[in-house]
Amino acid sequence: MIKAFNLYKSYGGVSSVLSDISFEVQDGEFVFLTGPSGAGKTTLFKILFGWEKFDKGQILVAGINVGKLNQKNLFLLRRKIGIVFQDYKLLAKKSVFENVAFAQQIIGADTKTARSKTWNALKSVGLVKKKDSYPSQLSGGEQQRVSIARAMVNNPDLILADEPTGNLDSEISKEILGLFEKMNQQGKTIILATHSSEILREKKYRRLSLNQGKLLQLN
Amino acid sequence: MSLFIIKTINTTFSNIKSNRQLFLLSVVTNFIAFFVLGLFSLLFVNLNVFFSSWDNHVQLIVYLEDNISNTDKKKLKLLFDANDEIESVDFVSRDQAWARFQNEFEMKSNFITSLKYNPLPASYVIKFKNDKNRLENIKKFSLKIKDLEGIESFEYGEKWISRFEQFMILLRGFILAFGVLLFSGMTLIISNTIKFSIHTRKDEIDLMSLLGATHASIKAPLILEGVMQGILGAFFSLVGIKLFYTYITFKFQGSLDSIFRGVDFQFLTDPLIFSILSTGIIIGILGSFLSVNQFLDSRNLE
Repeated sequence: MIKAFNLYKSYGGVSSVLSDISFEVQDGEFVFLTGPSGAGKTTLFKILFGWEKFDKGQILVAGINVGKLNQKNLFLLRRKIGIVFQDYKLLAKKSVFENVAFAQQIIGADTKTARSKTWNALKSVGLVKKKDSYPSQLSGGEQQRVSIARAMVNNPDLILADEPTGNLDSEISKEILGLFEKMNQQGKTIILATHSSEILREKKYRRLSLNQGKLLQLN
Repeated sequence: MSLFIIKTINTTFSNIKSNRQLFLLSVVTNFIAFFVLGLFSLLFVNLNVFFSSWDNHVQLIVYLEDNISNTDKKKLKLLFDANDEIESVDFVSRDQAWARFQNEFEMKSNFITSLKYNPLPASYVIKFKNDKNRLENIKKFSLKIKDLEGIESFEYGEKWISRFEQFMILLRGFILAFGVLLFSGMTLIISNTIKFSIHTRKDEIDLMSLLGATHASIKAPLILEGVMQGILGAFFSLVGIKLFYTYITFKFQGSLDSIFRGVDFQFLTDPLIFSILSTGIIIGILGSFLSVNQFLDSRNLE
């Protein structure tokens, strides 16, 4: 699913954020991206979905050469990826249902399809009853579940989750992690960035560990 | 394609709804700018019509010396006949001229009409054919005959015509310069309104991009919003000018008739109406393009 070769990224050519990163993630794999704050996890994610450019190297995501992708064709890459953020990035003026359906509208799904896929996505994260609520009326865990439903509604091959449990307590974090595992069982490739030692202790998935922009180990 | 258009229109209207005050402010500003520009254009159109109607009455009067010989008269007659641009030539003898003069001025000045001798020369009144170069033809012909024997002088109102022409050139220049200034100003206003509109929906636009929206689907509603601001401003300004025009013609009909001497007070011409509306659209596209591209640049999306 992902192949990265000798990836370098710096800001202004001075401050090095990623240095000589090479790794591979197989289709259907569940991988933790770990490392302390400032290690370069978010930057690596941004590179994966084409939000940041990189200086050197090659990266292939779902068969797309990200470095060679025309800026106007970035949407082709992003439609293959579902992104989950630590801060959820929900639209405050839209209801839970509208927030999830928004992703379907973006890719041009017709109303009927969008409705049924949104319904299914909300069902799989257990939020059907809250479909008419607004983000401000939800708890942090519920908001993250909406964000996950939005990431999965377009049925992407790859899910990138940047510290999805960072703002949640351990009980809710487990629930959220369970949702990612469920998606993984359905064949999705998951890369989940976290520095939660509790999660890393409990779940024995492969880890990509970053420290000061360098990949430390692959296990 | 039709789904894309429907979505663009829906998004545009929902954007306008959530920023309606700012949208309205931009439309009103555009309206004022176009209204002022339209008023100047209205003035220009009417002065032009007025000038053209005067132009139609312009004729060349060639005054003859009292002692002009018959041979010189014949030479002149031959010149007139040889010129295809001349429609008619009337000879006004000294006596006829004097009689007309007395008739016209008997109520106004006893002194002149009571003169014991005729001070007026004989003349030829030459009408030129209706042609867009009529004035030019008159000028050319008068230069050709000016040094001929037996001609005392000639006139066709060249001084006021040239002054009026200069004034019209100046007015046209002023309207153009004013238009360019307004064009830049209005583009900036729309650009800033759209910038604000983008700013209030920054998160949503970022999210759209992250979820895989195409550039076209991000840009189109914002550009349509700019176009709406421009075209609505232009449209309402035309409505305003039409109301102003109707009021003026209704209120000052009598005075206008005497000023324009039978020529109707005109509304803006179709090409001018079209120009104002299309300028509104161009300003809208340009203004929104500027801010949309600036925003996409800043988000590293462009």
